[in-house]
Amino acid sequence: MRGTSAIVGIGESTYYKPGGATETEFQLTIIAIKRALEDAGLSMKDVDGLVGYAEDRNEPNRLSAALGNERTRYAALAWGGGGNGAAAPVALADMAITAGYADCVVAFRGLAQGQFGRFGRAQLVQRVPGERAYRAPYGHASAPMSYGIQAQRFMYEHGVTYDALAEISLASYAHAQHNPRAIAYGRPLTREDYFNSRWIADPFRLFDCCRESDGAAAVVLTSAERARDLPNPPVYVRAAAQGMERRANAGGSDGSGYNDPDFPTAHYRTVAEDLWRRAGYGPGDVQVAQFYENFTGMVVMAICEMGFVEPDEVESWLKAGNIRWPDGALPINTSGGNLAEAYIHGMSLVNEGARQIRGESTCQVDDVNLSLVVAGPGAIPASTVLLSKDP
Amino acid sequence: MSRYMPEGWNLPEIDDLNRQFFTSGKLLVQQCTECGTVQHLPEDVCHDCHAMTFDWVEASGNGTIYSYVIVHHPVHDMLRERVPYGVILVQLDDYPSIRIVGNLVDVDPSEIAIGKPVSVSFEEVEGADGEMVTIPQWVAA
Ligand SMILES: [Zn+2]
Repeated sequence: MRGTSAIVGIGESTYYKPGGATETEFQLTIIAIKRALEDAGLSMKDVDGLVGYAEDRNEPNRLSAALGNERTRYAALAWGGGGNGAAAPVALADMAITAGYADCVVAFRGLAQGQFGRFGRAQLVQRVPGERAYRAPYGHASAPMSYGIQAQRFMYEHGVTYDALAEISLASYAHAQHNPRAIAYGRPLTREDYFNSRWIADPFRLFDCCRESDGAAAVVLTSAERARDLPNPPVYVRAAAQGMERRANAGGSDGSGYNDPDFPTAHYRTVAEDLWRRAGYGPGDVQVAQFYENFTGMVVMAICEMGFVEPDEVESWLKAGNIRWPDGALPINTSGGNLAEAYIHGMSLVNEGARQIRGESTCQVDDVNLSLVVAGPGAIPASTVLLSKDP
Repeated sequence: MSRYMPEGWNLPEIDDLNRQFFTSGKLLVQQCTECGTVQHLPEDVCHDCHAMTFDWVEASGNGTIYSYVIVHHPVHDMLRERVPYGVILVQLDDYPSIRIVGNLVDVDPSEIAIGKPVSVSFEEVEGADGEMVTIPQWVAA
């Protein structure tokens, strides 16, 4: 692949704690899209494509009417119900632009958990249908359980301890202290705070779990050719990949796939192979990465599966400071990520990945040519996108 | 056996795929009549040969804990009195490609560990709708 499309605008609403937004989810989404267009030097008249993921409630029908979109040529939603899809709309936009189905595509996510309810609460429904029938009766009724069971086995197999999980969380909180958009800005986390925080579902403590937030984030993409005439440095879509291994979902559980022959896995082994082959680069070529933190343990697994380090060495690699800005070999989650910036289902990580290429991050890594975004590990289909400064 | 989760807590909605698993009082797994593949969760189609006819075979009910999580945060008010509790993933001794979610009902969650042998035990529960289910659970072996 070559960079035939580029992110030319980045926008987001203010990020709030759940229930903290004065705007509705739809209003937050409109705000993020308008800011992304403004940033790109474009208007809604230029937009002919709208793409999303995670069963976004803010449908293109309602959006295009409200935004005054002249003519929509492309509207698509990536499969999958969670943040695993966060990189997929960028791929959909890239495909549409590269293949000539649309010229200017907005990829977005709006999520107001105050308005529509939080993910971390179970409902009492008496009778639970489908895949959840095999776990809800056992009190297995939220995401930390699905992914805690994955992470626990990974930790057992590879001698990984809570220290590795702590490092993911501490890095995100440290980076958020530079980012005024972050909900945890001005609220540093110490190692002691981390270890003293209450258990949610062992192996995960409170600070291993993503926040829940109200907010929206969006990016605007257009062709590489047109991008060069716009005000921002183009952020090229160098390569993207989405997918899952054979029988990834076997056994169910939010895609944890308890009967997946590859369990435990973040489902990035095949996806990483596709990404690096398409990109013509490997993990060693990347300067900075955003790894979706649903739970810290899943980030540890995803780092390994993307090829940055072997599972048996990941703990010492993390403890050596490799993911810390500014001195680490691979600073990750430089905005504070889902743990400390905000939980916009991972779309905010795409914005941060693009900022790193433009040189505008609040934890800016030097000389970035390749910036990686890895969406929700453990859920499927998994998605990832590699952004580049060079076309 | 009385229920490990609080009385009135969620029960499975019985459908054609899960009826045998949740009402037979036996630990049954789905086996393809064409190629012999066993699979869990039960599906409409064999994951190996795509045949659509199945038998139910009874597993010995012996297994080992493959992984687990210890739940401390109650995700619903009804679970406040229940936490902390373990959710375990049991790998069946006789069908090792199959792992089943459950609770270890007879020991303190602090005693849960990967590799520990367990055996099946059933909770017979009548739903508010009057329908009986038999929920597979696990005790230390
Ligand atoms: Zn078969």
